[in-house]
Amino acid sequence: MAWLETEVLIVGGGVLGTAVARELSRYRVDVALVEKEVDFGWGSTKANMCIVCQGADALEFRPEYRRSRLVWDSVPLMEPLCRELDVPFRRIGELTLIRNSEEMAKYQKLKGRAEKVGFDRLRFIGRDELFEMEPHLNRNVVGALYNPDIAVVDPVRLAIALAENARENGVKTFLETEVEGITSKGEEFEVQTTQGLVKSRFIVNAAGLQVDRVARFLGADDFVLYPVKGYIGVLDKNVGELVRHEIHMRPEAPGQMNILCPSVYGNPFFGIVMCLARKGDNSITRRMMDIALVNLRKILPEVSEREVIHSFAGFMMFRNWELGWHECVVQPSRKVPRFINVCIGYPGVSAAPATAKEVVRLLEQEGLKLEENPHFNPSRKAPPVFSELPESEQEELIRKEPRYGHVICRCETVTEAEVIEAIRRGATTLDGVKFRTRAGMGRCQGGYCTPRVVKILARELGISEKEVTKKGKGSPVLLYRSKELLSGADT
Amino acid sequence: MAQTLEVDVAVIGAGPAGMAAAARAKEAGASRVLLIERQEQLGGLLHQCIHNGFGLFYFGEDLTGPEYAHRFAERVMDLGVEVMLETMVTRLSPEREITAVSKEGVFRIRAKSVVLAMGCRERTRDQVQIPGSRPAGIFTAGTAQRMVNVEGLLPGRRIVILGSGDVGMIMARRLLLEGAEVLAVVEILPYVGGLIRNEVQCLHDFQVPLFLEHTVTKVHGERRVEAVTIARVDRSTREPLPGTERTIECDTLLLSVGLIPENELSRMAGVLLDPLTGGAVVDESRQSSVPGIFAGGNVLHVHDLVDNVSSEAEIAGEGAARFAQGIEEGGEGIAIRPGEGIRYVVPQRIRGRQPVTLYLRVKDMAEGVRVRVGDIWERKFRVVKPSEMLKVELSTDELSRIEGRELLVELER
Repeated sequence: MAWLETEVLIVGGGVLGTAVARELSRYRVDVALVEKEVDFGWGSTKANMCIVCQGADALEFRPEYRRSRLVWDSVPLMEPLCRELDVPFRRIGELTLIRNSEEMAKYQKLKGRAEKVGFDRLRFIGRDELFEMEPHLNRNVVGALYNPDIAVVDPVRLAIALAENARENGVKTFLETEVEGITSKGEEFEVQTTQGLVKSRFIVNAAGLQVDRVARFLGADDFVLYPVKGYIGVLDKNVGELVRHEIHMRPEAPGQMNILCPSVYGNPFFGIVMCLARKGDNSITRRMMDIALVNLRKILPEVSEREVIHSFAGFMMFRNWELGWHECVVQPSRKVPRFINVCIGYPGVSAAPATAKEVVRLLEQEGLKLEENPHFNPSRKAPPVFSELPESEQEELIRKEPRYGHVICRCETVTEAEVIEAIRRGATTLDGVKFRTRAGMGRCQGGYCTPRVVKILARELGISEKEVTKKGKGSPVLLYRSKELLSGADT
Repeated sequence: MAQTLEVDVAVIGAGPAGMAAAARAKEAGASRVLLIERQEQLGGLLHQCIHNGFGLFYFGEDLTGPEYAHRFAERVMDLGVEVMLETMVTRLSPEREITAVSKEGVFRIRAKSVVLAMGCRERTRDQVQIPGSRPAGIFTAGTAQRMVNVEGLLPGRRIVILGSGDVGMIMARRLLLEGAEVLAVVEILPYVGGLIRNEVQCLHDFQVPLFLEHTVTKVHGERRVEAVTIARVDRSTREPLPGTERTIECDTLLLSVGLIPENELSRMAGVLLDPLTGGAVVDESRQSSVPGIFAGGNVLHVHDLVDNVSSEAEIAGEGAARFAQGIEEGGEGIAIRPGEGIRYVVPQRIRGRQPVTLYLRVKDMAEGVRVRVGDIWERKFRVVKPSEMLKVELSTDELSRIEGRELLVELER
């Protein structure tokens, strides 16, 4: 007996999987999405710099590459998408610092290439204008290439919003559901998941880091991917006050990027230090931390290591381990019909809107009948973010629900009601609450709010505090009750 | 519309500093004193400090944290200080206008003077750069203390503690008493970071393994802490020495690696901060660079004993009361600066000639040294440690001997 039967099964609830789900919900198609983690957007989607690339402004941009085209085609789609889904999107602009004539020549070439495809927004600026825009930067530069269009988003909230909107329009989504095997039975796939058997006519494999593993079940892995780990640090908002644009400097060594990028919330990111690594090994090394800091100070000399409030490693899948350029996988398997592999590598977030449309086109090409869904509702409303509201609306909220007046995260001013709303919408863990509300993302890194959020999670989910986890199975926050180690068999 | 309150003195934070400041402000004649606290009760972190050792100087008695809090809470209530609980201050303007939020709504509070008493927060993992994975099971010592003592929950049973600050050592003993194993306290310096009495009573008396000149070089475990690797560090560079690593299987890592005064509101109000203390630059009445905004306790500089927090905050409370009554000290005064061997001095400025107590900390542990304050004061110390604050009491007579606009505080070997 099948646990679930569907026309299209999407494997992976990252920004690509959820974008495909939402795009498909424009049509009358039975769609289900499975995600192995406890929330959406927890793979590569959550571990990056949140930049919306503009395609043609990147050194590796080549219009003939599919990856470049998907990023390029996504540019006009991203802002309207974020508006429809009520997801934070901020156009901050990018300054690529230029230190010498050799770099100047490279960027002149880049600008020419961009103009050839119709991107004429790039502009060289001199020192005076640069330091007027960004007075705290290293003085050791001759100017910069300015791209006013670069933007930042919150990719996790984008994935959550896409999933919520897809669900609203009829897509079924299942969290904590991992694919363990796939077989092909005539016109149907039988997918073994941790929840049960799923029967589906089409599969969209957007499993991110697992995309090759999932494809391999059917021998549909007609590509090779290399997992590349990248270190990214997060800085205090005080540093965020010093820079307004994304600042880019040409890396000095292979395997590095040198970027300082304000987030939509004010905490800048810096990095990236990359290396090939075993999948799932998210550990960071002292060397990565040191290199990233040294690079950061080349951009912003006065930053202290004390301003680093958080750091993490994210994974990207590369088709070739040669930085600078690489191609993506967005194609039907050459060996298995009705099976589409989707993996961008980086920048997956930036390419998601056009990729979703491309996948739908490929599905149609593979035989999926598409008939418009007359009830499709493109908009989704985000839960209220108390700290961002004008005072009158704050008052209004508190009047309706007094727990909007109970601040439980001091650094990011997150209220109890926002945590409850996040749980109502699907957060079940400490990190789930963190990514949905920002409680725990500030400078004290959960020192104040952790005990409070644990309590609220336990209460709202009807579980004991000991059952509350950081990120799902195997990650309990607290292991025992007081006195438990002193009683019974333990003494 | 936000409800508006007008008060003489508003005190932000009702921990040991805020309660003492509010009480003294009232005693010094301020008529309307408002104490604003984000938690459900007065006392701040004292409620999770269920161990004893509080009040030896202030009350001449050995009290627990909750007992110490209770004494001050009673004094505050008896004096008629107004209290707002479960109220978070979200904004402070240089004109001393406070915005606060509670379940009752948004409040605007206009105060003639303000005392900052927000205390401090704990340094986190990334500020000390611990490599490795990011699993569940890593807590700052203070957060763990709240879990154990207030919520009745234990972080784990096999514990490693990085840093030997006071809260870390107290948690080592507390977790041992709860039946957990404390496998190591790891300190990068050649000596313990907290008070000697805590080193003796919490570590030595319980035979907790103490690794001096060591640090944690890696956290293992993807979902929950499974082990940590520690290594010896080079004495001068404090960098880990290759080949000295050992891995300890554990389920919990606690961090007790320093405290940071919590000055986000101060910054908002334009208060000038001292990079050495992390708190406001103040004069002897604990007035900051913004007229009418005072600060006391750990928000100003991290203290060793809560008794000192209370005493200092009373100075701020008195200053705030005088300011609210229109009494202002004028003049530039004299700048007090840390010299050789001294990490910081508070206050950083003296305007008047009334007796003043300087609080200071040294940079490193030293024996047989002299502390000199310009040409007006000096004393010999058998031993000085960064963990213990030194107090220098200057009399009116000594202050009148100051020449020039600056006073240097130095350590002489």
